[in-house]
Formats: sequence, C-alpha cells, structure tokens
Amino acid sequence: MNRTLIVDDSPTMRRMVKVSLRDVCSGGFAEAASGLEAIEQLALGPIALMVLDLNMPDMHGLEVLKFLRAHQAFRQVPVIVLTTRGDEPSRAAALAAGASLYLTKPFAPQALAAHARELLGERCMVAEEGAGDGE
Amino acid sequence: MANDPDFLAGFMDDYFVECEEHLTAIRGQLLELERGVGAAAVRPALLEELFRSFHSIKGISGMVELREAEMLAHQMESYLRALRQKDVVLSQRGVDALIAGVQALETTIAARRDNRKGPSIEPSVQELAAVTPAASAPAIPPAAPAAPAAVASWRVTFTPSAERVGRGVNVDNVRARLRERGTIVDATPRVLPEGIAFEFLFAGDLTPQVLDAWRPDGLVAERLTAPTVTAPPAAGTPASEAMSAEASDGSDAARLGTSHVVRVEMARLDELMRMIGDLVISRARLESALARVERHVPPVEWRTVQENSQTIERQLRDLREGVIRVRLVPVREIFRRMPFVVRDLARETDKRVRLELRGQETEIDKYLIERMMDPVLHLVRNAVSHGFEPAAERAALGKPEEGTLTLSASSVGESVLLEIADDGRGIDPAAVAARARAIGVPVPEGELGPRALLDIICAPGFSTREETDRASGRGVGMAVVKATVEELNGTISLDTAPGEGTRFLIELPLTLSITDALIAHVGDRTFAVPQAQVREVVEMDPAALRRVEQHEIAPFRGGSLPILRLGRLFGMPSAPRRALHVFVVGTGRDAIGIAVDRISGQREIVVRRMADDLIDVEGIAGATDLGDGRVVLILDLPALGRYRGDPVAAGGAR
Repeated sequence: MNRTLIVDDSPTMRRMVKVSLRDVCSGGFAEAASGLEAIEQLALGPIALMVLDLNMPDMHGLEVLKFLRAHQAFRQVPVIVLTTRGDEPSRAAALAAGASLYLTKPFAPQALAAHARELLGERCMVAEEGAGDGE
Repeated sequence: MANDPDFLAGFMDDYFVECEEHLTAIRGQLLELERGVGAAAVRPALLEELFRSFHSIKGISGMVELREAEMLAHQMESYLRALRQKDVVLSQRGVDALIAGVQALETTIAARRDNRKGPSIEPSVQELAAVTPAASAPAIPPAAPAAPAAVASWRVTFTPSAERVGRGVNVDNVRARLRERGTIVDATPRVLPEGIAFEFLFAGDLTPQVLDAWRPDGLVAERLTAPTVTAPPAAGTPASEAMSAEASDGSDAARLGTSHVVRVEMARLDELMRMIGDLVISRARLESALARVERHVPPVEWRTVQENSQTIERQLRDLREGVIRVRLVPVREIFRRMPFVVRDLARETDKRVRLELRGQETEIDKYLIERMMDPVLHLVRNAVSHGFEPAAERAALGKPEEGTLTLSASSVGESVLLEIADDGRGIDPAAVAARARAIGVPVPEGELGPRALLDIICAPGFSTREETDRASGRGVGMAVVKATVEELNGTISLDTAPGEGTRFLIELPLTLSITDALIAHVGDRTFAVPQAQVREVVEMDPAALRRVEQHEIAPFRGGSLPILRLGRLFGMPSAPRRALHVFVVGTGRDAIGIAVDRISGQREIVVRRMADDLIDVEGIAGATDLGDGRVVLILDLPALGRYRGDPVAAGGAR
C-alpha cells in the first residue's frame, strides 16, 4: 500500500496527525513542511492519501491542491484539507479546488482516523475494480 | 471537542519546544517590527513570518487544549492580518499590544508547563482587539507579499529523484544553493514528461564551473535571453504569485529543511560523549601496552602497528569533534532574548540604551548555552539598571545620552569568550569597599584591583543597592554568576573604570569532558593541566627568582611575574632538573606563573569530575585516567593562582 503524505509546517502537528492515523495508514508516512516539499514528495513515489494544511510558507496549500488536480497522475489522490480554525472562508475555495474533505484544527484523532479509513477504503475498492478490469 | 488525555500527554514536550522556537523567532521579529513604526512600509515577509508563527502557535495550542494561548495567538494573528491587508497602519500602540500579548502568551505557556494557573489574558486580548479593525476578515488566499525585486537572468530546472533526495539534494537544498548566489524570483512546480520538476527563475551569477558541478544533481540552467520577470503561466499550473514570497530576501532560510532536522535528547549525546571518552582511555591503554611490546616486534611489523594506532587516534579525534559539533549551537540563542530584556528594562528605569550584538554565529555547547542563559541575563540587567546613568546625567557628563551595551562572543582555540560591556558609570571601588565592610564581607587592604573587586561583588549576599530592585534582584545574583562560570570550567574577569564603564569577560571551554592537556610533573607526582588555561609555557633558571617578602618574583618580558611553586603549595618534595617549567596564566596584573619540575608532553584527556564533596578542593578540576593505569589530578590553574597572597603584591607585578 502507498504512503500517506502529511503536509504541515508544524512538526508537532505532523506528529499528531501521524499518531492519529498510525493504525489506518499501513503504507507508512511521508512528511513535508512546505508546499514545495509536498510536491517533491509526489515526485518520489505514489501516495495513497494526503493530509494538507493550508497556511504554509512558500506555497499555499490551495496551490498544492490545484497542482494536484491539474495533473492526471494525481487527480485521484484523496486529499484531506486540515486547517486551523479561522481559515473558514477558505472552506468553499478548498472544496472547489478539489479537496476530498475539509476538516479544521483542533481535530479529534478518532474522527480524523475514521475519515481517512473511509477515503482509503473507497480508494482500495477503486483499485480492486481497476485490477479486475485488467484481467 | 475533548481529546484523549493520553493522546495529548505524548505531545506536550513537542508542544513546548515548538512554542519556544516560535517565540524566540517572534521576539526578534517584533523588534524589527517596532523599528518600522512610522516608516513608509514594513517588509511584507516580516509580517508574513510573524503571522505564520502566531498561526502555528494557535494551531498547536488548540490541539493541546490550551485555550488561553490559542485565544492570544488568534488575536495577534488577526492584528497581523489587518496589517498585511493594509486595513490598519502599524502604530506604537499596536507594537506594544503585540509585545504585551507575547509576554502573556509566554507566561500562559510556562504556567501550563509548571502545572500552575495562568495569568488573566483578558487585558491583552482586549487591547489587541482594540487596535484591530473589525473589518479584517480573512481573505482567500492570504494576500501575497510584494512583487519580485529582481529581474531573472536564468531558468534553473531541478528534477528531484529518490536517489538525489537520499543524498540531501532536495528542493530546499536547491533553493539554498541558489540563494547563496543570487535571488529566486519565482519557483513553480511543473509536470514534465520525465516527471515532476521545479522551475526557478533566478537572478544572479552562475559560472560554467558551478553549472558543471550541479548537473549530476539534476540541476539544469538555461540563460534567459530576454529578461523575464515572471514565468509565463503554463496551462494547468498554479499561478506563480503564491510563491513569490521566494523573491523576498531569504530570511526564511532558517525554516528551510525543517523536515530534515532531528531532535535529539541531550542525554543521548552525553551518553555518546561518555562512550567516546571510554574509547579515548582504551586507546591510551593500547598505546602504553604497545610501547611495552615494541622491543619484541620486528621493526617492519612494528611500523604497521604504529601507523594503525595513529590512524585510530586521528579518527577518534575526528569522531570526538564530530560529536562536539552536533552539540554546538550559535550563541544567538542567548543573545536573541536580550534586545527584549534591554528594551523593557530601559523603559522601566527611564534610560536610553543601545544594544550591540557581535559574533552571534559563534558556536558553543548546547549545555553551556543553557547554563549561561541566566548569568548573562543577570549581567545584562545589572548593566541596564545599575551600570548606565540616566540620560540627563549622561548629557551633563558630556557622554552621549544613549548608552551602549555591547554583547559579543568569539571563539579562541578551544574556548569561547563572552563579553558584556557598558559605557556607564563604572564600579566605584570605595563604595564597594564601604558596602562590603558594612555587611561583613572581608576587604583586602590597599587599592582594590579588578580581581579583588570581582571577588567582593560576587560574595554571597553582596549587593551595592540597599534594596535589590526588581530587575536585578530577580533570578541569580553575582555569586551565582561566578559559581556557574567556574562550575563550567570557565573563568570570569572584570575591567572597570569610573565614568567610563564596566566590562565582564567570561571565558568558557567549547565543550566539557574531553580536552587537550599538558602533562606536568613535580617530584614523582604527575598532573594534567588543561591547555586552554595556559597562556604560555616558559623555562626559568631558579637562580633568577627574587624573593619579595614571602613571594617569589621572576623577571618576565621587561616586567616581573609572581611565581607559585606547585611543590611548595602542595607540600611535596620537588626536584627541578636544571630549569623550572612555568605555566603562565592570566594577563596584565592578574598574570601569575605556576612552576613545576618538568613537562612531559601533550595529550587528550577525559575529564572526570570529582563526585565527592569532601575532596572538592579549589585548584583541582577533576581526575583523569592516563591509560597506563595511573589516575592523575587535573589542575585548575586560574583557581591555583588565587593562592598567591594579597592583591597588593600581585598589583605590583606586571
């Protein structure tokens, strides 16, 4: 199974996300502290799920999302936008840009895990169907 | 939303560390912001950095359910957003509200760490709300900082790969390389047939040699014939404005590579250092064992063994230096707090003080930095509250109304020098002597030299003010400053002139535990002398020594040098062969020579502190194992120098 990419400029927040998703994302984790680093991670290998902060140095999370959705290779990657309360007006923008889900911090670890499980489950089913077609 | 307490407990240390990092950055940024009051424009990147620091604190404070910190950070973030969106003009009141807010934030976080009840945040929140216009709703996405300041002359394309990233060549590394040579005007990710690539528009100089060196790292540069300011927006790629923060000035360099930094507990590094110490001793044992078997081994074989042994010694030294480097942090960590302290205290005491910081990049052991924070803070507070005269008094004296406080750091060999100097009123020896007599601190006869002055002001319970004021009385006293420096195997000295100012000079070893030492002998006893303490080693004819009262004086460089014979001091039989070997310690009127019979060489020693208080003898810094089974004492020469007798005799010696 592919990696889960956690994008947040706060190392503490990345670790909190990682611990919350430990039992859900069996493909391991990759981390990025900025938008550019996130895109670099995309270049290094496929990812199963992205947890994306919005307010980051270098490249805003929305731009990362737009980049993803603009390219065939990443169009299907589920993205959970996880951003700090106060960015609320960006909810519509994030969903319009192609976020699979919009959650705010502070987050409940169990809720995040449940959402991730759901998104990864959908993805697994899509992948299995794809495999079935190939036979 | 209530989080599982166990979940939170695992993150509290991370939380405090990250908050402290942000707060340290914020303190520096606020000072820069304050200089922008009344200026035409504030650097957009500065507002951006401050905004982001508060935003991060707000985010993680919410997660650990520290609502007061979340609220404060939120209010400060709102004010900065208003500044960024130009809904409000930067004012002194606004900066003061931020500074008060940051102090409340610090106290709130510290209270949580100590499991205390935090202060009321209400006044700070209200003041911040008062300076923030209500109309400042968040915009989407946040307003981008100013337009690119340079014209690009190159298009540099970087294609990342797992192999490249594995050896540290990543997008952050590439940006750092480019910033060393110019300005990044724009950075855009692209999807090319061969994969994802980053395209940088770059203004600066790239030589053919540089380009050749970069090519294996997946970096290709193409000179732009017509100057391009921004990238032509390619279909399907994000607009480039979002990344034009790149064009600022690289001041976010410190943030780069955050994901490539590992936090290590100091205890693990201490353990590593201890293991290297053991290795140094084992090698010394091997060396003496080898010396014993030399005559039984054929010379050719012997040379190979010897060469291997020397290689191990060199590699061991490299390893030790490597571990020391890991522990080194820039002195900036201490200095960064100081502008804040000076600013507040100068305001409180109604003085005008300019702070000069020098040598902030000087590196020193992390442990030493932590231990020195309070002593340096104390010296700085002392200088501001006691050292400087009020502005009016300075003007009357013909001095600049604004006093200058200089904090500087530099490294000399294996030591680091910290200097705290003010151009204030200086220390009045008569006042110090009177005060000392009044409270029963012994005062030597005659004129008080700097050494004696320092000893008095560092005496426990001594303070030149009847009532210790809030600023200087808080935290540690001079007694603790001196004790801390000496515990860290450092020395402190004082230089003061009435009306001209006061200077404290602190010399600290770069790191503890392993050091280079000279091996000295008196009779059949052996001692180790840390090389950093020795200014000079000279040979002297015992016949050249003169006796003045109960002291011995030797002619030295056109002056004279008091000599202390170690054998006599320790009551040991001494038998110098022909000449005395003398370690010169200290400078000027504090210089003294410590004489031994013979010096047999130099070596790396592992300092083991004496754990038993009963043998806590001044002049002995610890013990070491020389590897041949002998445990020898390590001398503390500056402490020994103090046995020389009364300072009048010392004062006559130059």
